[in-house]
Amino acid sequence: MTPDLDPMILAIFLPLFGAIAAFMLPRAAALIGLVTLAMTTGAVFWLAQRVLASGAVIVPLGGWGAPLGIDLRADGLSVAMLLLTSAVGFLVSVAALDSLKGADQARQRQYFWPLWLLLLTGMNGVYLSTDIFNLYVMIEVIALAAVGLTVLSGTKAALRAGLEYMYASILGALLFLMGVGFVYMQAGRLDFAGLIAAEPSAAMSAALALMIVGLLLKTALFPLHFWLPAAHANATAPASALLSGLVVKAALYIFLRLTTYMPLPDEILITLIGALGAGAVLWGGLQALRAERLKLLVAWSTVVQIGLIFIAFARAGQVGLAESWKAAALLILAHGVAKAAMFLAAGRIKDEIGHDRIRDLDRAPVRPTLAQFTFALAAISLIGLPPSLGFIGKWSLMEGAMAAGYWHWVAITMIGTFMSVAYFSRVLSAFLRFDRVRAPVGEHQGWALADAAPLTLALTAIGLGLMAAPILRFIEIGYPFGAAL
Amino acid sequence: MTPDLIYGVTGIAVFGIGLVGALCAQERLRRVLALKLCSVGAGFLLVVGAWREPPDTPDPVPHALVITGIVVMVSATAVALALIRRLQTLEAEDDA
Amino acid sequence: MTDPLVIFDLLLALAIVALAIAALSVRDLYAMIVLFVIFGLLSALAWVRLSAPDVALAEAAIGTGVTGALLLKTLHHLRFASGQRSACMTPAIPVPTGVMLANAAFCGLITLGLAVAFLGAPAAGPGFDALVAGAMPASGVDHPVTGVLLNFRAYDTLMEVVVLLAAVVAVWQIERGLSDAPSPEMGEVWQGFARLALPAIVVVGTYLLWVGAEAPGGAFQGGAVLAAVGLLLLLTRAYVPQPHHRGIARGAFVLGTGVFALVALLVAGGGRVAFEYPLDHAKTLILLIEGMVTISIAVTLAALFHGREPVALRKEVRHDT
Repeated sequence: MTPDLDPMILAIFLPLFGAIAAFMLPRAAALIGLVTLAMTTGAVFWLAQRVLASGAVIVPLGGWGAPLGIDLRADGLSVAMLLLTSAVGFLVSVAALDSLKGADQARQRQYFWPLWLLLLTGMNGVYLSTDIFNLYVMIEVIALAAVGLTVLSGTKAALRAGLEYMYASILGALLFLMGVGFVYMQAGRLDFAGLIAAEPSAAMSAALALMIVGLLLKTALFPLHFWLPAAHANATAPASALLSGLVVKAALYIFLRLTTYMPLPDEILITLIGALGAGAVLWGGLQALRAERLKLLVAWSTVVQIGLIFIAFARAGQVGLAESWKAAALLILAHGVAKAAMFLAAGRIKDEIGHDRIRDLDRAPVRPTLAQFTFALAAISLIGLPPSLGFIGKWSLMEGAMAAGYWHWVAITMIGTFMSVAYFSRVLSAFLRFDRVRAPVGEHQGWALADAAPLTLALTAIGLGLMAAPILRFIEIGYPFGAAL
Repeated sequence: MTPDLIYGVTGIAVFGIGLVGALCAQERLRRVLALKLCSVGAGFLLVVGAWREPPDTPDPVPHALVITGIVVMVSATAVALALIRRLQTLEAEDDA
Repeated sequence: MTDPLVIFDLLLALAIVALAIAALSVRDLYAMIVLFVIFGLLSALAWVRLSAPDVALAEAAIGTGVTGALLLKTLHHLRFASGQRSACMTPAIPVPTGVMLANAAFCGLITLGLAVAFLGAPAAGPGFDALVAGAMPASGVDHPVTGVLLNFRAYDTLMEVVVLLAAVVAVWQIERGLSDAPSPEMGEVWQGFARLALPAIVVVGTYLLWVGAEAPGGAFQGGAVLAAVGLLLLLTRAYVPQPHHRGIARGAFVLGTGVFALVALLVAGGGRVAFEYPLDHAKTLILLIEGMVTISIAVTLAALFHGREPVALRKEVRHDT
């Protein structure tokens, strides 16, 4: 009997089996990890093809069908997130081969792969789930694996940051679970269709509020971002790239879905979310300007970008929500690719130079030229210069805000852009000085094979901007999300 | 007054108490415990939602969900406690 | 109001809330854990009152029992590591009282909002009752909660086992080496008791697993009870984890997840999707999954209690970064 394989099932089960294999066979973990990533990416492409051909697809697990069972559903947005996760994940994995190659890193190598593959299982599960309790379990899978990755280096700073991250993650998940409880009390079911069908009531408002606050805590929107900079800055480079580029996106994705199924009841709430985003842009920008370490600066830039994504969500108020989520989704994709590239490049620079103090960057005798170039390319996308995907995302944010007459969001976005130019210039200017000591040419090459993966990511972040129109068409497949349920 | 009303309010109170603890507690161990209280509060809410006036039997789905939640919470607690222990060992080594 | 059970419920509810407050405000951390354990047991009692015996069993065994053991172990370790028995181990970064009060007021407000929302919700809302009742004959088991856990929402349960696996991988990654804190002192009487109690616990755990198909109980409760065997073995030093046991331990951790996932995948085909057990074999497959998951849960919980990967540390590889 040959089992019927479905790409959605594969996208979740392949990483799961990969994680088990990598845990059982620590010596072959890296090989298992790469093969799993390649196969998962293949499955996701297969799924993408299917969604392109026939629109949103559903698998009723166990054959029961929602609401009794749990359905998996893939539409344009979920497949776009899956593609982002597996493609970025694959390149980060390639980069991890190099950055974890040290003889003293045997232990990190051994645990990186099972944790990362479990993380991938959780994230793919989130993007395909249609059941809010299932989402709760998935975000816990993500939380435990992500904390494990955060503390991989075993330093005290990383452990402290990891513990704070753990507290924030658990609390966020429990707020979400409490929200699930209220949904059950009111609606008597937990699938997305049940959310759409539920009548507005006090219990549903409480549920929505609890779930949104829980998600904002997990995605680190200002002022709930307190755990993020330390956690992302102190992790090892590939872990940072995964955490910043991919993990925070899972909670953002759930937020986008939930607010579509359970519309925010009042314009003020949307403005409030936009205002928190504005706070993130300003506060994160200030902190990035003050940061002394390269990786900390990059981590604060994540806080800024998350703020920006929420501004994009709020850009045109309630009437614009049907379009605004697309701007937010574009920014999510752009940030995922560019930030992974930037963290990997920052890790390479730190490895080559031996430290990541921004003020001393220009004093290093060694010049990891290609890593610096990669960093600059990633910065182009994060600042939002054309033709990068970041530019398209910001442009569609401002276009929508202008069309709706919400000039304050335009102003904040402009201010944020100038601030990001300022804080990235701090780093880039340090790269550009040539008047300092230089090591003899033989001692460093300025590039290494390890730069290939981050460079590919950075080039992708810029190149994807040229494909913005097909991407937009793709993520609209199956929208409005409720239609096929 | 029926049990669901009494225990529903109890659950929400326990959740609130846990919330206060999670935000205000100073010792690491106490914060973990506070989070556990939150999860018990959430469990109360689901079990209460499942309750039906006897002789009707309760809805089994929330019961299954709470059991899942309990196992998930013990996993998270174990990881948080391992972090605390490791951190304490490192901090004690520095002092020595 | 004359119903004595209502008075019992009210008293129990009051006690639960009071214990929660007391656990968070008592100074001594050992007292905190003891209060928490009582709190957990009373909560389980409340869930029995709400006709949820499965949940009560799970909460008593895992939520309270295992969590309490984990907390006690950590407290013991902290006191040993900081070298003085009375030390409270967190370097207290004092939070300003104003901030604490603001936080507390904020939480109070939230709680009040939730209470209002709860009281406004339908008393006996809609649920899955009819759906579950209709699907039970096709589930392969007789007990509804087991049906939900291992058939209707089996995917959730698989992911829950994955969470356990992720936890043990993370814990092994965080802590390593053979235990350096001496195990808590145990009197000879206690050791003798432990040896006598072991077979009884094994029987109870297996029984819980077995009856799960038609009565309250099941893999998780059974697994937790069996984990207690592991805890006792570890505590009495009847079993000390050794580096060369790691392979077997890894196998036991992944056994439940692996078998569950494999069965879920392999039943697909011939018009069936993943997790759709053929009706003739549903009972056998579910029992197989439950058995394997029980073993994994028991070993994993015991390993989470032990807390560290048993590797022999040499001085020079101690601080690998």
